Amino acid sequence: MLLRTELTLLLRARMAMFALILVALLSIAAVAAGMAEVARQRDVIARIAPQQERDLAAIASWVDQGKDPGNAAYYSFHATWDAPEPLAFASLGLRDVAPYILRVRALGLEAQLYDGEAFNPELALPGRFDFAFVLVYLAPLFVIALFHDLVSGEREAGRLRMLDALPGRARRLWVRRVALRGGLLYAALALPLLAGALLSGVPVGQCLAVLGLTGAYLLFWIGLTLLVGRLRWSSVANAATLAGLWLVLTLILPTVAHVAINQAIPVGQGVELSMAQREAVNRAWDIPREETMTRFYAGHPEWRNSPPLPPAFHWKWYFAFHQVGDESVAPRAAAYRNGIEARDRAAQALGWVLPSVGVQAALARLADTDMQAQLAYQDRIRAYHQTLRQFYYRYLFTDTPFGKEDFARTPRFPSS
Amino acid sequence: MSAISLIARDELRLMRRNRVAVVAFALLVLLTLAAAFISWSHQRAIAETRARFQAQAAKEFEAQPDRHPHRMVHYGNFIFRPLGPLAAFDPGVDAYTGNSMFLEGHRQNTANFGDVRQSSLLIRFGQLTPAFVLQVIAPLLLIFLGYGAVARERERGTLRQMLVQGVSARQLVAGKLLALAAVAALIGLPAMIAFLLIAGQPDALAGPMAVIALGYAAYLALWAVIVILVSAMMRRGRDALLALLALWAVLVILVPRVAPDIAANAHALPTRLETDIAIQEDLRRLGDSHNPDDPFFTAFKQKMLRQYGVSRVEDLPVNYKGLLAVEGEKLTSRLFDNYADRSFAVQAAQSGLMNGFGMISPTVALRRLSMAAAGTDLDGHHRFLEQAEAYRFAMVQQLNQLQADAVTYADDVAQDAGADTRKRISADHWQAVPEFRFQPAPASDLLRASLPGLLLLLVWLAIAALALIPIARHVQKARR
Amino acid sequence: MSLTANGQRIVVNDVHLSYGSHAVLRGLTLHVAAGEIYALLGGNGAGKSSTMSALLGFVRPDAGTVEVAGYNPATQADQARAQIAYVPENVALYDHLTARENAAYLLALAGRRPEPQAIDAAFEATGLQEAAWDKRLGGFSKGMRQKVAIAIALLREVPVLLLDEPSSGLDPKATADFNRLVHDVARRGAAVLMVTHDLLSAADIADRIGFLEAGRIVDEAAAQGADRFDVRDLHRKFTAGSVAA
Repeated sequence: MLLRTELTLLLRARMAMFALILVALLSIAAVAAGMAEVARQRDVIARIAPQQERDLAAIASWVDQGKDPGNAAYYSFHATWDAPEPLAFASLGLRDVAPYILRVRALGLEAQLYDGEAFNPELALPGRFDFAFVLVYLAPLFVIALFHDLVSGEREAGRLRMLDALPGRARRLWVRRVALRGGLLYAALALPLLAGALLSGVPVGQCLAVLGLTGAYLLFWIGLTLLVGRLRWSSVANAATLAGLWLVLTLILPTVAHVAINQAIPVGQGVELSMAQREAVNRAWDIPREETMTRFYAGHPEWRNSPPLPPAFHWKWYFAFHQVGDESVAPRAAAYRNGIEARDRAAQALGWVLPSVGVQAALARLADTDMQAQLAYQDRIRAYHQTLRQFYYRYLFTDTPFGKEDFARTPRFPSS
Repeated sequence: MSAISLIARDELRLMRRNRVAVVAFALLVLLTLAAAFISWSHQRAIAETRARFQAQAAKEFEAQPDRHPHRMVHYGNFIFRPLGPLAAFDPGVDAYTGNSMFLEGHRQNTANFGDVRQSSLLIRFGQLTPAFVLQVIAPLLLIFLGYGAVARERERGTLRQMLVQGVSARQLVAGKLLALAAVAALIGLPAMIAFLLIAGQPDALAGPMAVIALGYAAYLALWAVIVILVSAMMRRGRDALLALLALWAVLVILVPRVAPDIAANAHALPTRLETDIAIQEDLRRLGDSHNPDDPFFTAFKQKMLRQYGVSRVEDLPVNYKGLLAVEGEKLTSRLFDNYADRSFAVQAAQSGLMNGFGMISPTVALRRLSMAAAGTDLDGHHRFLEQAEAYRFAMVQQLNQLQADAVTYADDVAQDAGADTRKRISADHWQAVPEFRFQPAPASDLLRASLPGLLLLLVWLAIAALALIPIARHVQKARR
Repeated sequence: MSLTANGQRIVVNDVHLSYGSHAVLRGLTLHVAAGEIYALLGGNGAGKSSTMSALLGFVRPDAGTVEVAGYNPATQADQARAQIAYVPENVALYDHLTARENAAYLLALAGRRPEPQAIDAAFEATGLQEAAWDKRLGGFSKGMRQKVAIAIALLREVPVLLLDEPSSGLDPKATADFNRLVHDVARRGAAVLMVTHDLLSAADIADRIGFLEAGRIVDEAAAQGADRFDVRDLHRKFTAGSVAA
């Protein structure tokens, strides 16, 4: 009976009703938009196979005439992709700016790995409209709207003294009201998310983690609102203070931290790496070919017994200097990656202090759409590229003809 | 002294005596200055890095030894997009686009190594720039300072008292607006001074700078009017504050986020993989340079032989392989241009749709204006891509032409041990390849691109100002 | 409990209370028996609302004892409050709820779940028109709100009724209705304590009047005979105290 009356009381206040409906609508829209985007990305990935097929078939029919494995290795591009995890709809993370499909060939990888995808930067600039956005940015505003006058509103309406004069059990009134408002807000936010998660086939453990994260973030803001409420200021002062806190916690501090982190942890510009790789690769044309081969065989003794280079051009030398070029910049590549990881770690660490950052990071981690996921994708490309090289080297270094049927044997990118 | 200025003075005095308001104002000014300084030093560092890399790339290119020209086509060149002077105020999409490009023959590479892919997730929270402070945070301060301007008078009953004493509601509203507009001007002033300092001598950019100043002034004025409107409409100060916060969240935070999603869904952009495959297919359809019987390349050969009046390619006064390279690059380049134009068109349609949301949110309109005038919008990036492609084409063709003119056909096809040395031409030729010089958009282009946004903002301002009239009438009724 | 047994429901003995260096109650002593209506009459700052706060357990006296139906509100706030029905000066109930919903809700908060008929009977007793019972409180006059509040107090069936400036803002007819109601409550055995600065309303309703001045009772008057009080005498006592302060 009490809860029902509390509910009546809450819902008859037009603003509360409006706020709850709005939250539910925003959450539904965000989940729907996220799911549409994930479906689109899946669709793009599904479209790869037939097109690749056609492309490789055309190359195969031409290479088959001369059966030179070098031509096959040089002209064939192989598709790699990073399919979205089921939960990706909740937090699209970096997936709008980092490629999730990339074609590579058996040449130097460092010149291919950092290529981008075609995207409109003006659309990426404001960020995507996904559940993470609704939760991190908008949910606190609704917490503020629903909770800022929890006690001060009663005081301003002149009821507080009367409520306080009621015997002890009445004090549970506040617990009940907080629970009711918090519960409804949580439901409005989380139910659409849960529906989306079930539709997307998100594993139970992840579902619970996201729901828990959502609850924890709401609790943080509710707690903050109640703390400010304890200062016994007016409702207006509460609302203004809380909006100010929101501004600082979700907009100002993260942007300041971004500047600080990028200043504190310089990453050797990626372009430096690319330029060094180019020098290493192209230098091969100007030094004795044997020098390159010696370096190559030192690192890859399994091909040492390959016949010596003929006076004319031979593809195995070409691929050898690409390999050597990659290897000569390996320390730079590692340093570049470490720099990025260090920045990412710093931001994660900041998440323990700044809930907005923490929740954003945790959501993107759960959804596997963050920087770590990007780097993991790069690792998979590296591994695949390695198998590609091995595959072609078997032909190149043994002068085995490469025919149409060998195209069918080319290793495919493993679907994770 | 008129009633309006009396009311404005009183309102300003009240704000001055409100310690929280003064502290908030001071913090915003500090934030603006910090943002300006950070943005400026960041932009300087970027400019310095890119200039250094550009110089290094040019030096390395020129330092290449004697080579076959086609080796240089593959050696290629790195170019960097410099930042315009206004980028420190509004860097726009700079962090989201790659700012360096590797240019080589037969291929069109992407611009790589944008900040967004080598920074932490924090970059997605926005960047602390003067533009961000003015677009997002300044309206919030105006809301805090002004939500009670009229609502407070109504709530405390002083409104009635004033009306009874013969002050008209119109004067009251005008006075409150005047006070808030003065505050808005004070908020915008430090940003504009910083803007002038970091942009340096306006020179040719005076026009775009004026548009930016005008645009931000109109934006802040618009928010001042909106705050007064809502304050006059609501019965209680708290209602006014909540309504304004909701409005701010929708106009400044929500709509700019929703618009890109709608635009991206309305106009699908083909992926690079699909474009690459499509280009390869088109090339195969055109002809196969590896096939001696290919009709397209046979026709080209006949044309060349006819042109020089010989019957065998060996007898041509120029290297046929070089001619073939020139022709091949021309073909691929045309395709690149076609596909790039298509991609640009889709992106332009996306951005156009998104800019249309400027009719719903003045922040979108301002952002458009600001980036366009600063030359840091999509057009600015496309400008770079187009110039990069033009430069790539010219550089590759210059090298291909060198192959045709400076390497003999006999040497080029020779396979003997000494052939490699004979194919090489002097390194002096590399120095003859001009360096890449990015031509920034002329001020008139920036101006033209920023005018629609400005127009939209002014329409917003005009409508909001007109809405003050019925609102003043509404306030007048409080007498009864 | 002995005090309750001999009929004293409100016992305040030599209570001292100060906020910082500012003393508001300085040796306040007053007793209200079951069935008695006691009016505490005082000007602004005399200590009326501090007395209320002490009785409701909002503040703890520096010295002296307070007992409400045998409980010390400072240490046994819940038990004490369970014995008190309190009607604040401006009866503020929930505008979004109907009269009936307000009654049911606030009684439930106090741990009571009366039958709907009981609520009807209480509304009936307060003289609230039946048409208003299921209307939202948003449009109610102050008198109507007060009737709802008294109805809630009646339904609480507690031994102590505290009234804060009950007559302010009521028209004469509403005041008369109200007085009749309070008498009904007292006749059923409740101790009623009202604080007011309105001498006439105190004289109308109270069995005894205490003159509160600078935190203590400086004089008392008891109702006698058909005329109850000599208003002129009361007025003299009231203003004399005020001037003295």
